[in-house]
Amino acid sequence: MSINNNMIDVLQDQKWESIPWKKLQVGDIIKVKQDGFFPADLLLLASTNADGVCYIETANLDGETNLKIRKALEKTWDYVTPEKASEFKGEIQCEQPNNSLYTFTGNLLIQKQTLPLSPNQILLRGCSLRNTEYIVGVVIFTGHETKVMMNAMNVPSKRSTLERKLDKLILTLFATLFMMCFIGAIGSAIFVNKKYFYLHLDSSEKGSAQFNPRNRFLVFLLTMFTLITLYSTIIPISLYVSIEMIKFIQSTQFINKDLCMYHSETNTPALARTSNLNEELGQVEYIFSDKTGTLTRNLMEFFKCSIGGEVYGNGVTEIERGLAERNGMKIDENKSANAVQERGFNFDDARLMRGAWRNEPNPDVCKEFFRCLAICHTVLPEGEESPEKIKYQAASPDEAALVIAAKNFGFFFYRRTPTTINVRESHVEKMGKIQDVSYEILNVLEFNSTRKRQSVVCRYPDGRLVLYCKGADTVIYERLADGNTNNNIKKVTREHLELFGSAGLRTLCLAYKELHPDVYESWNEKFIQAKSSLNDREKKLDEVAELIENDLILIGSTAIEDKLQEGVPACIETLQRAGIKIWVLTGDKIETAINIAYACNLINNEMKQFVISSETDAIREVEDRGDQVEIARFIKDEVKRELKKCLEEAESYFHSLSGPKLALVIDGKCLMYALDPSLRVMLLNLSLNCHSVVCCRVSPLQKAQVTSMVKKGARKITLSIGDGANDVSMIQAAHVGIGISGMEGMQAVMASDFAIAQFRYLADLLLVHGRWSYLRICKVVIYFFYKNLTFTLTQFWFTFQTGFSGQRFYDDWFQSLYNVIFTALPVIIVGLFDKDVSSSLSKKYPELYMEGIKNVFFKWKVVAIWAFFSVYQSLIFFYFVSTTNLSAKNSAGKIFGLWDVSTMAFTCVVITVNLRLLMICNSITRWHYISVGGSILAWFIFIFIYSGISTPYDRQENIYFVIYVLMSTFYFYIMLLLVPAAALFCDFVYQGVQRWFFPYDYQIIQEMHRDEVDNTGRAQLLEVGNQLTPAEARSYAISQLPRELSKHTGFAFDSPGYESFFAAQLGVYAPPKAWDVARRASMRSKPKIGHKK
Amino acid sequence: MATSTAGSSDPSTTRRQSKKPKYSKFTQQELPACKPILTPRAVISAFLIVTIVFVPIGVASLIASHDVVEIIDRYDAECIPSNVTDKVAYIQTPGEKPCKRELHVEKRMKSPIYVYYQLDNFYQNHRRYVKSRNDDQLRDSGKANSVSGCEPEDDANGMPIVPCGLIAWSLFNDTYSFSRNSNNLTVNKKGISWKSDREHKFGSDVFPKNFQNGSIIGGGHLDVNIPLSEQEDLIVWMRTAALPTFRKLYGKIEVDLEKGDVIQVNLGNNYNTYSFSGKKKLVLSTTSWLGGKNDFLGIAYLTVGGLSFFLVLAFTIIYLIKPRQLGDPSYLSWNRNPGGH
Repeated sequence: MSINNNMIDVLQDQKWESIPWKKLQVGDIIKVKQDGFFPADLLLLASTNADGVCYIETANLDGETNLKIRKALEKTWDYVTPEKASEFKGEIQCEQPNNSLYTFTGNLLIQKQTLPLSPNQILLRGCSLRNTEYIVGVVIFTGHETKVMMNAMNVPSKRSTLERKLDKLILTLFATLFMMCFIGAIGSAIFVNKKYFYLHLDSSEKGSAQFNPRNRFLVFLLTMFTLITLYSTIIPISLYVSIEMIKFIQSTQFINKDLCMYHSETNTPALARTSNLNEELGQVEYIFSDKTGTLTRNLMEFFKCSIGGEVYGNGVTEIERGLAERNGMKIDENKSANAVQERGFNFDDARLMRGAWRNEPNPDVCKEFFRCLAICHTVLPEGEESPEKIKYQAASPDEAALVIAAKNFGFFFYRRTPTTINVRESHVEKMGKIQDVSYEILNVLEFNSTRKRQSVVCRYPDGRLVLYCKGADTVIYERLADGNTNNNIKKVTREHLELFGSAGLRTLCLAYKELHPDVYESWNEKFIQAKSSLNDREKKLDEVAELIENDLILIGSTAIEDKLQEGVPACIETLQRAGIKIWVLTGDKIETAINIAYACNLINNEMKQFVISSETDAIREVEDRGDQVEIARFIKDEVKRELKKCLEEAESYFHSLSGPKLALVIDGKCLMYALDPSLRVMLLNLSLNCHSVVCCRVSPLQKAQVTSMVKKGARKITLSIGDGANDVSMIQAAHVGIGISGMEGMQAVMASDFAIAQFRYLADLLLVHGRWSYLRICKVVIYFFYKNLTFTLTQFWFTFQTGFSGQRFYDDWFQSLYNVIFTALPVIIVGLFDKDVSSSLSKKYPELYMEGIKNVFFKWKVVAIWAFFSVYQSLIFFYFVSTTNLSAKNSAGKIFGLWDVSTMAFTCVVITVNLRLLMICNSITRWHYISVGGSILAWFIFIFIYSGISTPYDRQENIYFVIYVLMSTFYFYIMLLLVPAAALFCDFVYQGVQRWFFPYDYQIIQEMHRDEVDNTGRAQLLEVGNQLTPAEARSYAISQLPRELSKHTGFAFDSPGYESFFAAQLGVYAPPKAWDVARRASMRSKPKIGHKK
Repeated sequence: MATSTAGSSDPSTTRRQSKKPKYSKFTQQELPACKPILTPRAVISAFLIVTIVFVPIGVASLIASHDVVEIIDRYDAECIPSNVTDKVAYIQTPGEKPCKRELHVEKRMKSPIYVYYQLDNFYQNHRRYVKSRNDDQLRDSGKANSVSGCEPEDDANGMPIVPCGLIAWSLFNDTYSFSRNSNNLTVNKKGISWKSDREHKFGSDVFPKNFQNGSIIGGGHLDVNIPLSEQEDLIVWMRTAALPTFRKLYGKIEVDLEKGDVIQVNLGNNYNTYSFSGKKKLVLSTTSWLGGKNDFLGIAYLTVGGLSFFLVLAFTIIYLIKPRQLGDPSYLSWNRNPGGH
């Protein structure tokens, strides 16, 4: 793999030497530069940042976008330079390699001291380094022993469900073969009798045992074997070869070269990495999707805001666009000329830009809004202090987006010192005036997941004390001051929050509060006290914060778009119409996950949502007590209770037809217990009844477990799609694994079966390629079954007329070439070219896909119908043709022999079987004609030559001149018209009646669009162009959103917090933050580490 | 020219880097195709065409078959003297076993009249029987020794048998001679086999050798002085039949037989079908352009044509009474049960 040839710096003789990843060994000391990926699991020794802190991005592991902090042990901080690092001598004792991403136990023995190691010093393979020039680390686990790889499961060899069903069909055929042979062999044993003197059965020459009437059991056995070879044509051996060939061409020529799935920005075409699963794509019922990188671009953009009860921002989100398009309106992206486009800022409203906000109804509120954005954050500016060149280092892209927004509104935050924030403010006093203002930062009340807010107390240059606060609407609203104006704004802003939320935007509420110096001073004392307390510091800090974060005045709210990949909501909508259920499995927080589910239209306000979360007060309380056994028991009971409740409710909805659609949201911890065998069934029942399911905070292994639960428990066909290393196991666990290609990480693609560049190409891959593949392979399989059964049955009927002796009806060559030449090519052509409706119609009517989910075309019922017609046709072939035997067949009174009859029958079979193929075609290209005509022609050419020559080789010249004898009679031609017509008569009636009275969906669609020329270029679907002005579009889109009052207001924000983030800068001790999932668990171990230091 | 090459070299390099698939109708699956739709109209017209084509052919075949006059006479039981109890022993005793039969001509028979014998329950298509011959030996006088496949009738008294094998060994050997009003009707036995067999499969310089010299006599003897290519009874016999009931051409009577004629048949009843209770029949038949009497073809054609006609009527009535509108979206499954699960 190319990835293992990447170069990495390794310490050798006090120098950094570049060697490829694959040469790394445990114990090597290596240097990883900024934005580089860790090549192995490392123990962090030192970082260029002060205090041995480094920032890592774990998106590849858990999909989380905010940076994580890792901190080296104090003892090792100095080993930054190669000279120093080469002096490092120590011993690392650690646990065996395992798959738990969030735990690590070990010791570092250095200078005769034993230092405990925690997950906090571990850099896992798959993560990358951010905001740190470089780090030095020791390799602990490499290759397959890394935690990421331990999470990967054995690469399963995947076979499609259809192929597995095909195996059953083949087994059935074997059983049929055995039955036929058994009947024949019994018949033979009964038949043999000395009375047929002309057979000389009583002689004792070599080989006569087969028909020796004195040993009928031997006759039975030997005839059995003879008949097995005779009827072996019933097993379509060439079927597998043909299918492989068809699938190979389908994947290499059709999927890989589909222009509709070529992504020009990343120059990535679709890639089928296996040709096994083409038709599986046509039967997918459950899609498990990763979030980050798959559904979203991992790009936050400031999109809208509400200031003082007024909505700003003209942008239309994908979901709004989708809604509008569904209602037949097309929204043009009419960017106004002065719209600023920048990474992180996608806001278009002239009313706020370039100081225009001064003319808005409430300019003061606007000013506070912008100041709050510019001051209340934990972002670090980097680089030149000019608006164009500056770079913001933020713990989460949300934060950066907010600061960038402030910059674009004219409040440019350009410098941070430990005590001040410098903002270059424009248009504040009067239009066009720019002034630099320095705000003194007095306190920072940091963000965490229980507080869900973040506050900054700052002193204006004029001495005014202001507290700015931003956070979740729920927590902010609780802390707002009462008052008439405030109440009005509260109400309006709340409505706006709901609009933003249902549009899938991530919202934050902004508020401020003027502080009286006396009040502040008394509070600050408490704060400092709390801050310096040794135990329960966090809890005390939270309590102190509560004291000042009250009586706030609401400014407004921001709405950040977690930028979706292009076309995601539309694609999801299409897939849902196709009967596919989409589950989002993400390592991200519950709020973010729900938010994206809203943005993707997976969840909306009309749906009944079941939320099973471990973040409840009851669970938290038990967890704080710290008894592991008790926690496990309690959560399990809790989860069980919740599941039972939800299931009951779901069932009551399910029975009433008009009930709402259901959605389930569950987090990783609950999932861990819900996946327990005792609760599994309940979980499965509940989730299968849900229209969409969101699992958040799940580990890679849980993703795989959920996938296999549906795969094995519900026996549905599953598809997983993801882009990162954390999706690998899920991709491998599902029936079909899809990797998002064209981005940095390749692990997902390497594990996948298909790689596409964008989520939206799933529609093409499933609805077009998958569906066609399924239809085609079904046809090929069924047709093979039919043609071999028909052929073999004629042979079988003949056996009854030969005293069960096993005499061949057809010449050996006919029998061998039947599958290879006379019927081989047309079926391959069908497997390649048949299509029921065009690709654009396939996407226009995604419901057609349901035929694949229900496996309509390869049921036992279908097989039985074909078997019935097979039997019918074979009877026609044999008995119609064998009537030929008795009387004279030309005017010269001559009689046909065995080989004349069999050649005639074979001709009829070849013609009929090939014509039958044309009857199953939905579209007939000239290749169909060529191959069908060619096959029939090939038979005649063959028989002309074969019966025209008599070779000197020792062979029975039974066929000599037969075809010429046949063709010299009228009888032959009359039969040639009669037999195929009579054989196909029933099939034709069946097809006509079926289409007339019980039409398949695709047949109706065909009829609806029968007059349309299949225009080339896969024209996009007709779009009713209703031109709207941006303002109209906006109001329309807003009005289309669900009006129902809901709880969802789209809060989703995370930040590791001020203290830990700026610990390096301030030289203050920061409690190490563990991985978020393990946060609570690591809390208990934290003090231990703390004491050591 | 030079500028154009210089100009095109640049885009070509970028094109090489681009992984954009090239457009072709094949890879984009847009090959032009006709899409036949089995509309009710198409179904009805297809059946109408079948009716129009099949009924006339059926009628023609039936007429042809009816023009053929056929006389069938089963004689295996009657040609055993009534005092014989062990039929097999009787037939196996050497010597002439003459038998007289009378055939009544019900309808005028135009010459040529073909004389067939028909055997029942005789498995000429048995695997052991079919392969028991050697085509090399039959064709080539130099290969008299190649008797592979002929066991157990490959050699007798240490000498190879020509023609070898069970087929030749069990040659049918009943004889028929006909007389009308005590005038002999000559039976022409020339040209009763397929020309290709005569000329290519049986050598004109291959003579029977050591034939029927074994311990058991299977059937007829052959004149050792006549080459195999002229032993047409053998050639006919060796074109093995497909089914256990079959007819073989015995000869031709080249005079017309009038209605009411009584034909005396002098039968040499030699062939043993009694051991396996096979029937023996004598058949006199004229032919038409389609061959012998064969009502099956006509009936089959008329059945198919008639069924088609019936379906045309039935479908037309349904079509008129309760037509299904083509492409009616209400037939779509997701429209039929809205919100169905």
